Amino acid sequence: MTAAELFQSIIASLPEIVVVTGACILLILGQFVRKGQEHLLVWASVAVVLIAALGTLALASEVRPAYTGMFIADRFAVFFKLVFYLATVLTFLLSQRYADIEGIGSCEYYVLLLFTLSGMMIMASATDLLSIYVGLELTVLCTYVLTGFLRQQRRSNEAALKYVILGAVSTGIFLYGVSLIYGLTGTTQLDGMAAAVAGNPLDPGLLLAVVFIVAGLVFKVGAVPFHMWLPDVYEGAPTTITAFMSVGPKAAGFAVVLRVFLNPLVAASDVWIVVAVIAVLTMALGSFVALVQDNFKRLLAYSSISHAGFALFGVVAGGADGIASVMLYLLIYSFMNLGIFATVIMMRNGDFSGEVIEDYAGFAKFHPGLALLMLLYLFSLAGIPPTAGFFAKFYVLVALVERGFVMLAVIAVLLSVVAAYFYIRIVMVIYMREPERAFDPALTPLVRATLAFTAAGTIGIGLFPAWFLRLAQHSVFGG
Amino acid sequence: MGFPLLTLIIFMPAAGAAVLMFLRSDDAVRWTALSVAVLDLALCIAMVANFDTTTHEMQFTETHPWVPALGITYALGIDGISALFVFLTALLACICVLASWVAIDSKVKEFMISLLAMQALMLGVFCALDLFLFYVCWEAMLIPMYLIIGVWGGDGRIYAAFKFFLYTLAGSLLFLVGVIVLYFHGGETFDIRALMAQDLPFPVQSFLFFSFLIAFAVKVPMVPVHTWLPDAHVQAPTAGSIILAGVLLKMGAYGFLRFSLPMLPEASVHYSTLMLALSALAIVYGGLLALAQDDLKKLVAYSSISHMGFVTLGIFALNLRGLEGGILQMFNHGVTTGALFLFVGLIYERTHTRSIADYGGLMKAAPVYTTFLALFTLSSMALPGTNSFVGELLVLSGGFAANLAVGAAAVLGALLGAAYLLGMYRKVALGPASVGARFKIRDVNAREITAILPLAVFVLWVGLYPKPFLNIIDASVKHLLAQVHGKGSGQ
Repeated sequence: MTAAELFQSIIASLPEIVVVTGACILLILGQFVRKGQEHLLVWASVAVVLIAALGTLALASEVRPAYTGMFIADRFAVFFKLVFYLATVLTFLLSQRYADIEGIGSCEYYVLLLFTLSGMMIMASATDLLSIYVGLELTVLCTYVLTGFLRQQRRSNEAALKYVILGAVSTGIFLYGVSLIYGLTGTTQLDGMAAAVAGNPLDPGLLLAVVFIVAGLVFKVGAVPFHMWLPDVYEGAPTTITAFMSVGPKAAGFAVVLRVFLNPLVAASDVWIVVAVIAVLTMALGSFVALVQDNFKRLLAYSSISHAGFALFGVVAGGADGIASVMLYLLIYSFMNLGIFATVIMMRNGDFSGEVIEDYAGFAKFHPGLALLMLLYLFSLAGIPPTAGFFAKFYVLVALVERGFVMLAVIAVLLSVVAAYFYIRIVMVIYMREPERAFDPALTPLVRATLAFTAAGTIGIGLFPAWFLRLAQHSVFGG
Repeated sequence: MGFPLLTLIIFMPAAGAAVLMFLRSDDAVRWTALSVAVLDLALCIAMVANFDTTTHEMQFTETHPWVPALGITYALGIDGISALFVFLTALLACICVLASWVAIDSKVKEFMISLLAMQALMLGVFCALDLFLFYVCWEAMLIPMYLIIGVWGGDGRIYAAFKFFLYTLAGSLLFLVGVIVLYFHGGETFDIRALMAQDLPFPVQSFLFFSFLIAFAVKVPMVPVHTWLPDAHVQAPTAGSIILAGVLLKMGAYGFLRFSLPMLPEASVHYSTLMLALSALAIVYGGLLALAQDDLKKLVAYSSISHMGFVTLGIFALNLRGLEGGILQMFNHGVTTGALFLFVGLIYERTHTRSIADYGGLMKAAPVYTTFLALFTLSSMALPGTNSFVGELLVLSGGFAANLAVGAAAVLGALLGAAYLLGMYRKVALGPASVGARFKIRDVNAREITAILPLAVFVLWVGLYPKPFLNIIDASVKHLLAQVHGKGSGQ
């Protein structure tokens, strides 16, 4: 690598460098922040993310391959990075008061979130199985720790331990697949692999390798049959981290899934049948198991499994519309899911946990405005127009039917009906029950801002999807 | 492109709902909602007055790009068929506001917001010329309706609201898949007029016909997917029942008229016998069920199933008299059944019982009420001189022309209708005054008469002089028939 190439590479990865550097500086300066001034940490972290976002947008004009084919800064990566920035900033805003209440407002919390962000950014830009691995590990290592951040609580510790063990196994499986690929094709670069096997795409050894890689990635997006960690981790982790994980790392997982699965190698190996089966099972399991949940966080965990299943249908469809539909789905999902999590986080105040669905009985009577917001997020998650959630599902269905998968579309919509039941059940509890207690939501200005922003996204993209659709379609790689 | 009248008609209630959010006193909310609804009705009357009955072309059209990448437009326009229902929707919305004036005493603001949102979406359904826009309005209605039933309904409201929501959602989503399939077969457009001009291969038409049928049959509702209706009707507050019976049920039939017939003519002709048989089944089965009811609201609900059977029968007779009768009958059913639900609601507010056995001799206690009730009961059983007579006669003559057995079954259904309606009226209004002893019945007041009178006017107007109404739909129906038989004659 010449000096000029190195310079180009550094330019291309500038946003990642900003985030990592910012996190390191924050780690040192954070030690000098006195008690009661934790909001400084929030603002500093938000500033780091915003600088990185500016960098990303400034560099978005052209495709920049970097580090000899390990990394690429293309529009596809830019789109995902914007989703990550969105998720991270909103998590910071939600965290300020929540961290106070839970007593976890140390600087490590914010620093780890920034490191997670950098890991996700690497995942979105990685074009080599090894750089994918680096991004993946950086992301999950940080989230392991964040999951266990409620040190006093047993279930938080338990969740973290479960997550570490299962995560390590899945990483091992992924690495094994990578080593097989390297043995068979002599390269770990996605483009190189495709060229190496252009002759016989159905080598049984390669198929095995693909299956291993699929298994590793399926774990990260929380799809069947590697979904078992997800409800426990979502329930045990601090709610802000749950909100973050359900959006950020999940989207990052999908970024890798799209890059890997839609690579010519995988596309040639009929792996879509496997993905289709996974998608159906994931959505079915998420939707049916969510029906019987009483814990709000656990319900949202299953709901997130079910949504991952729906997004996987877009992966099955493939093609430019398929990829764009997954991307749009993830963007919209970020808005509505962070919105509904914001309402759960806000309920946590004093001794009140607000985690059981019944806790919301009659909420609409005292807080009609907040109840209306919850109604909006829930109907959006259920996919009812005119919310954004409907358009997300609609576009995935369009992509499916375009490729002739009408039966899959029918299955997808029937499972959506099942999923709709548990969302409207929450609406029922909020609106149609008599209140048993007074509510005291922790509504700080930052939480209000988050709610306003996510609500604007949820209804705005629903009513005016054209611009966002074009953004997603322009960001499809290779197109 | 002229004055955006239809946009104004649709967004007036939506804007009204937004304004209501900022009002504090319940009375201010009621009056604002009423003025918005009346103003909207005035606009609709202006629309009908300017409507050109000589052409089948869409009128008052507006087109704006919405999602260009997928060929989705914001396109509005009405022909004779939709004009009638736009007007009916606006009329019933006013009546709903009046009917909920005192019946809804908690969360008045939220109720009126839901009602106006509902109105905007219903108008959107009838005005949409873009399939995507149509679908958005069609499905978005679930949200306010779910709340109207679930929050302000009777004791079993939660069960009824869930059942309504899930039934309709399941039907709608299968319809959505059909819509997307149609989109790709019809040249990647959601423009309804362009899709009508397509000539689709028969297997595609068949698939789409059944995909659409599921959604529309649930809404109409046709037997055997009718079971949500009695629950929803009985549990919904009066205004909810009026909307359900008056407008929502019409949307299923409207779907057949707007999509199935013109876009899938060969399939419509091919499966018309099946549809006629299902209609006849609904007429007789609904009538038998109504005969067995003791609950007033349930009786009217089951009678709706029977009456909507006449509507689908007329539509799938696929001849001029059948279609005109079916469409007129849709309007009539909206007026008459809407009124009957209003009457059940009025008496329920006074006595808090809906059991027919609890009533008797109301004639003495509430003469005005029972007189009007007689008018609407007779209208519901299609006595000559009332609106339904004209509609049912056209439907029957169309039905006999299409299929003798089905026509005969429909006549049987009409007889059943006379039986349960007259029986109901006899037990409630006539006989010894068993109610007076137990309840203090007050006759209808001025507000209630204001709600009843317009409906009574339409009962007699359509019954005695139906020509203006048939004129509005005539050109559109003839064009529709030409579309069906022009393309479908090959079968």
